[in-house]
Amino acid sequence: MNKDVIVTKNISKTYGKGDVKVHALRRTSINITLGDYIAIIGPSGSGKSTFMNLIGCLDKPSSGKLFIDGTDVSQLNENQLATIRREKIGFIFQKYNLIPTLNALENVSLSMSFAGVKNKERLKRAEKLLGMVDLSKRMLHKPSELSGGEQQRVAIARALSNDPSIILADEPTGNVDTKSGSRIMGILEDINNKGETVITVTHDPNIAKRAKRILKIQDGVVSEENA
Amino acid sequence: MLKDNFNLAYKNIRERMSRSILTLLGIAIGIMAITSLMAIGEGMQDAVTGELSSLSDTIIVTTGEGISTSSMGMGGGISLSEDNGEYLTERDIADIQRIHGVKDVNTQLSSIGIARYNGEDVSVYIIGMETEPMELKYGLEDIESGSLLKEGDKNKIVIGYDVAHEYFDTDVYIGGRIKINGKKFVVNGIFAKQGGGSISPTSNVILLTLGDFKKLTGESNIRSATVKVYDIDEVDSIAEKIEQEINENHGEDDYATATTMSSILESIQSVIGIMQMVLLAIASIALVVASIGIMNTMLTSVMERTHDIGIMKAIGATNKDVMLIFIIEGILVSVVGGTFGILFGIFGSQAISALMARSGMGGGITLIPVITMTSVGLAVGVSILVGILSSLYPAWKAARMSPIEAVRYE
Repeated sequence: MNKDVIVTKNISKTYGKGDVKVHALRRTSINITLGDYIAIIGPSGSGKSTFMNLIGCLDKPSSGKLFIDGTDVSQLNENQLATIRREKIGFIFQKYNLIPTLNALENVSLSMSFAGVKNKERLKRAEKLLGMVDLSKRMLHKPSELSGGEQQRVAIARALSNDPSIILADEPTGNVDTKSGSRIMGILEDINNKGETVITVTHDPNIAKRAKRILKIQDGVVSEENA
Repeated sequence: MLKDNFNLAYKNIRERMSRSILTLLGIAIGIMAITSLMAIGEGMQDAVTGELSSLSDTIIVTTGEGISTSSMGMGGGISLSEDNGEYLTERDIADIQRIHGVKDVNTQLSSIGIARYNGEDVSVYIIGMETEPMELKYGLEDIESGSLLKEGDKNKIVIGYDVAHEYFDTDVYIGGRIKINGKKFVVNGIFAKQGGGSISPTSNVILLTLGDFKKLTGESNIRSATVKVYDIDEVDSIAEKIEQEINENHGEDDYATATTMSSILESIQSVIGIMQMVLLAIASIALVVASIGIMNTMLTSVMERTHDIGIMKAIGATNKDVMLIFIIEGILVSVVGGTFGILFGIFGSQAISALMARSGMGGGITLIPVITMTSVGLAVGVSILVGILSSLYPAWKAARMSPIEAVRYE
């Protein structure tokens, strides 16, 4: 039995107060184990982003408890959350979100610099990761000089840089063509096969089908769908 | 970590080159103003100190309030107070001479006279003194042409530069004849052009032997005496004794004032010091404006990079990390600006002093701007401080952004 990397106990998230109170996420309890490959689906406005922000430690639940790798993060302050994000979570965004002034190599090593990894070691690791996503020859290019698919692969390398236990991918193929999209999904699956937990938000039923588990979110309620 | 911050800051500055240069220029101008003013202030101190410290064994004894100093004419001038009708007597001079440690006492008599040349009348300041102290007081460099008076000279005068070249329609030359109070004198020497900082102004003076002066005016009013001492360390105590002696002679508490050169130096330096502070305060305004410029640029930069800040926070940057990035950017801009400012300041102060020398401002004192390590250190320190202070608020604003909203911001 694999250990749980994410455990939510009755977490909910509400915005506003009184009449304008919005229940973005209602009492949700799920367990995600190490090595899981999860697809999160649901229409827009369903609470997908809220759920992702919570398990990505970008936001705190209004009530309930959330454990990441055994740590209760619902009580942590901003800086402690930043540390959890840095050490436990790798983000991949729909719009790549690379720093435009830095080249691919520097983008990948940036989060390692926040973790205090030494420069030499960082560059070595960044080169290795960029090699893994097949970008060894484009390391010194800036995001504006790379295609969408290439930028997303840099983002994957960046997400892996601090050796996280969870990869959170928010519509990773949403902005790239089909061919690049399947290549990116292939990389994510490779990562998963190596034992990494991968959680991806998607609209594409074909991508969802490739996951081991599917979580469907509707009106702030999370339910398991049989894959 | 720090190296990465520098890298990030550098990349960002380069990305917004023209804006960064303008911000940098603001700081450079502020630091330039401070550096050059400090250099000129230091130079001024040095020039005045150099001029006066050679006279540190000298005490000037006068009646009344004594010597007044002023900052007029940049170099700080010295002048005798108004003639108050009180004079030193021969007995006073003899008493001074007897004080232990006094090397010698020179007196000079002075009066106002009417000088006539080629039918033109002007009012001049006439001084009578023995030929021996005359030689001690004035050197070769003080004389433009001709020579000083010798023992036994009669009806000969030495005239000031302005008397020779400015006072009359035609210039006066050696051998020229000037009537003073109706009596004829021959010009034996002409004083050289002189700066405002001199302790014995000569430009509007006519110098006579003591004998001629007494015959001419019938006066023997001693307004001042110049005392030299053997030991510089005793100069203050001797000055005190001189005042005591003379005040006793006249039965009056504040009859005479003995002023040492070091006290004159001190008061001039304090005047220059105050002037420097005022100039620095004015220069600081430029710096305040420049730091507002940095703050403005940084705030714009924070706004523009909201999205980047969100990404950095999402991938694990703490608030401190984000703050540091912006503070280092602020420091980088102001230190680079400050470095240019120091260089501009060095050249600028040279230019100002060259300009001053050419225009004749600052009198004969050659003002060499002095860049000290202290002023360079201060300028660097101030630029770092300005960088930190002006980027603190933008950095704080950047740090407290919510990563979710910042990432979403396009």
